[in-house]
Amino acid sequence: MELRERLKNGFIIFDGAMGTMLQDTGLKAGELPEVLNIRNRDVIIDIHKKYLDAGATVVTTNTFGANELKLKNSGVTVEEAVDAAVANAREAIGAGDGHVALDIGPIGELLKPMGTLSFENAYDIFRRQVVQGVKSGADLILIETMTDLYESKAAILAAKENSDLPVFFTMSFEESGRTFTGCSAEAMVITARGLGVDALGVNCSLGPIEMKPLIDRILELSDVPVMVQPNAGIPVVVNGKTEYRVTPEEFAECMRGFAEKGARVLGGCCGTTDRHIRLLAETLGTMEARTLEKKMGSSVCTPTKVVKIDEVRIIGERINPTGKKLFKEALKKGDLDYIMREAIAQVEAGADILDVNVGLPEIDEEEMMVKVIEELQSIIDVPLQIDSNNPGVIEKALRIYNGKAIVNSVNGEDEILDRVLPLIKKYGAAVVGLTLDSKGIPATAEGRCEIAGKIVKKAESYGIDRSDVYIDCLTLTAAAQQKEVRETLKALEMVKEKLGVKTVLGVSNVSFGLPNRGLLNRTFLTAALTAGLDLPIINPLDKGMLDVINAFKVLWFQDENCEKYVEIYKNTEGEALKKSGPGVHGLAEIIEKGLKEEALGATVKLLENSEPLEVINGYIIPALDLVGDKYEKGDIFLPQLIQSAETVRNAFTAIKEKIAATSSEEVNKGRIVLATVKGDVHDIGKNIVKVLLESYGFEVIDLGKDVPKEAILGAVLEKDVRLVGLSALMTTTVCNMEETIAHLKEHCPGCRVMVGGAVLNESYAESIGADFYGRDAKESVNIANEFFELN
Amino acid sequence: MENVEIDRKEVLRYLGHRNQAVGERLERLVCECMEELKGIAAPKYICRTFGITDRDRSVSLENGLFELPGQAILKHLSASGSCVLMAATLGSEVDKKIRYYEKADLTKALVLDACATALIEAVCDRICEDIEKEDLAEGEHLTSRFSPGYGDLPIGIQKRFLEVLDAGRRIGLTASSTNILLPRKSVTAVMGIAAENCGRKSGCAACGKTRECAYKKMED
Repeated sequence: MELRERLKNGFIIFDGAMGTMLQDTGLKAGELPEVLNIRNRDVIIDIHKKYLDAGATVVTTNTFGANELKLKNSGVTVEEAVDAAVANAREAIGAGDGHVALDIGPIGELLKPMGTLSFENAYDIFRRQVVQGVKSGADLILIETMTDLYESKAAILAAKENSDLPVFFTMSFEESGRTFTGCSAEAMVITARGLGVDALGVNCSLGPIEMKPLIDRILELSDVPVMVQPNAGIPVVVNGKTEYRVTPEEFAECMRGFAEKGARVLGGCCGTTDRHIRLLAETLGTMEARTLEKKMGSSVCTPTKVVKIDEVRIIGERINPTGKKLFKEALKKGDLDYIMREAIAQVEAGADILDVNVGLPEIDEEEMMVKVIEELQSIIDVPLQIDSNNPGVIEKALRIYNGKAIVNSVNGEDEILDRVLPLIKKYGAAVVGLTLDSKGIPATAEGRCEIAGKIVKKAESYGIDRSDVYIDCLTLTAAAQQKEVRETLKALEMVKEKLGVKTVLGVSNVSFGLPNRGLLNRTFLTAALTAGLDLPIINPLDKGMLDVINAFKVLWFQDENCEKYVEIYKNTEGEALKKSGPGVHGLAEIIEKGLKEEALGATVKLLENSEPLEVINGYIIPALDLVGDKYEKGDIFLPQLIQSAETVRNAFTAIKEKIAATSSEEVNKGRIVLATVKGDVHDIGKNIVKVLLESYGFEVIDLGKDVPKEAILGAVLEKDVRLVGLSALMTTTVCNMEETIAHLKEHCPGCRVMVGGAVLNESYAESIGADFYGRDAKESVNIANEFFELN
Repeated sequence: MENVEIDRKEVLRYLGHRNQAVGERLERLVCECMEELKGIAAPKYICRTFGITDRDRSVSLENGLFELPGQAILKHLSASGSCVLMAATLGSEVDKKIRYYEKADLTKALVLDACATALIEAVCDRICEDIEKEDLAEGEHLTSRFSPGYGDLPIGIQKRFLEVLDAGRRIGLTASSTNILLPRKSVTAVMGIAAENCGRKSGCAACGKTRECAYKKMED
């Protein structure tokens, strides 16, 4: 691998812009440059030659947009474009010295959850480019100008799984230091390094001067060779023409600075020409390349949030069905909203990382894990800990995870280590190692430390850095094994000292079976933190536990200037007063006024002396009817109606808990499937209908947005549903609504469909075969009420 | 693009407000959302002027580089010798926050969504004002904004529209396979450059679909 050698020892000089040179030859705005590989190859070869002549050691193929979506109507296939482009670059090199980089740019459509393209779909699009690039003889793969970390991951995986070529990877940042989709430079480095790219860095968008702070941050962090391809300044539009104003001299001077600090792969992007590259090559020719030695430290991330394990970090434990009836119910019903509310509550309470466990014998864990992770990462930005002992589940989860995750867990058994550690390495995750093996949990601290040592050694043999191994010394129950509780703490200290790894521990087990569990938990947590625990796995909604951590961080100088502590506790007295104040409103008034926060408490109180059904029929429904009437008369408007509906939903939380606790009959006025049709991403209208239907006691199976007709039919058949609500907001997606209705009617003739959305009206709805038209959310409740009364 | 103010009245209009009492609670929520939006919106835009070279059955820009089909756009640009193509977006963070609140607090999601709609419109107004002030010659004016999907201008030109402006690379604006602009709080539009001032009134007046539109301005 000559290129990989070169990366270790010297500089690699890339070419400059293709587009800018093409525009100089008369390419018009909006024309597809990839087509020129075939129709006007001499122009392309000539540009490559100019760069080679200027001193570039790598030329980049003219394939930035050579993906199947962008080439769709061009008359040229991906394979033709890539093959011609590689051939052109090869011909330009001729017998000379030079490498061909297969250029891969962004697809041009956004991935879920921002857009409608699925991760696997994106992967397939990139794979097509990679496979042909390899076949045509490219020497390396350049994935560049990425702004979405998720799309980047799809591209990197496609490159690594379908070739052995070196992968160079750059993203494009704004001056804010983030990409258009909010990805930070740190998250990029952590994730791309984990996925095993050969070089990583920044290109496009900014000029070399604006890029400086960004490159500094990346050089600080990365031990992977760093790549820099700036524009020739920020574009200025003069008389309708885009100009880049950084001269070759200024450009080369800035690039010298990057090289001095350790950048190894240098080239240009928009606005740079062979003149820029010539001076760059001359400058680098007089310099020695520097090797980066820094290590990453322990950290996990999502695109928008990096969590460094350099202080105590809280892992929230509540996404776990063990011992929770309502959670199990939610999993069985596929009620992701319930799980999302658990997640949101934990993050708002202060969780830094969320553990995700969805293992339940009755459900398909793999499918559910993927769904939950996709949904979680679409709304919250804290990193996740994938909690499963099934390697299949772990791999699926790691693949679709956006960032760097933790896997919980492996233990000292060889069979498990050999199955899971390769996945950790491949996807660049961190892993929790439990100090137990086939013989159980060693009674002594020494025994546990020994297993920890084995796990660390094995991880390193797979190329995983020990900073990515978090050891769990396992909490034992004081009621059963009182003598061994201290061994856990001893082991924790020992593991930290001897192995220098981070530690993780589920805390609340210690108090199982004893009264006043909170007291034992807090005391044990304090002791564990003192022993060096980095990652307590706790319930963040347990304020007492959080108090301990917040105080610990002050006393151990982790919360500098007590800033966070003061922020949290400055109003403690006032808060206590507010909370202890009795609720002054009755439930009906609370609903009418939409006082969401008071609903739960008021309902719990009512339920002390009333049956759930009495509360629903005596308080909730009359209040809702009143609010609904007001809305229909125009006395209140939509947000006020929704506020009341959400208030009712909070009341229902209490009711459901009571029902679960007393095993009384469920409240269900009818089951309805709701979905936003394929191609449409406007979700809010459907969600409004949902919350309103739920507040009236209907069971809603929410399939989300961009839902294919097959999935809708599937849910209808599986759950025996007779009423479906479909939403579409765009004229372009109403046709998918029509197809969905036809599909449902064909395969499930008894099923009825109500539709809604801004572009629809009564006659339009009828013309596409809908049974009911819901003018607004309230109307959909009327339709459902009538439907289930009649049927 | 700084200091573009969100018009509270517009926010309420998008929320379906007619003349109901708003109430202290909702009033506070609207203010809160307007404030929160300021922190997460990152308005960006890109504009380019094109000469109109043919107007047979469609408006042709720069000798067929880009075609704007339909009678409505022909009429809209009838007094213009050139036009400006504009693409503007609030960025993806806004979408993300709305998505979050749809799960955490739906009422807030609804209000924040309305604030964002009001803001992107205000941003577009500002862009047009700036163009008139800075780029147009004495006596020249912009027509109102005309977007793909208005009247008979097909929404199917959305992708090509963005390509012509290189909007993906320049401002991170894309279109889905069903031509939905993403990030969602975004606008693409054509404005004619005309010698006379035909008035840049609201988009509603220029659109042929107001009969079925729930959001049309009441005065229209």
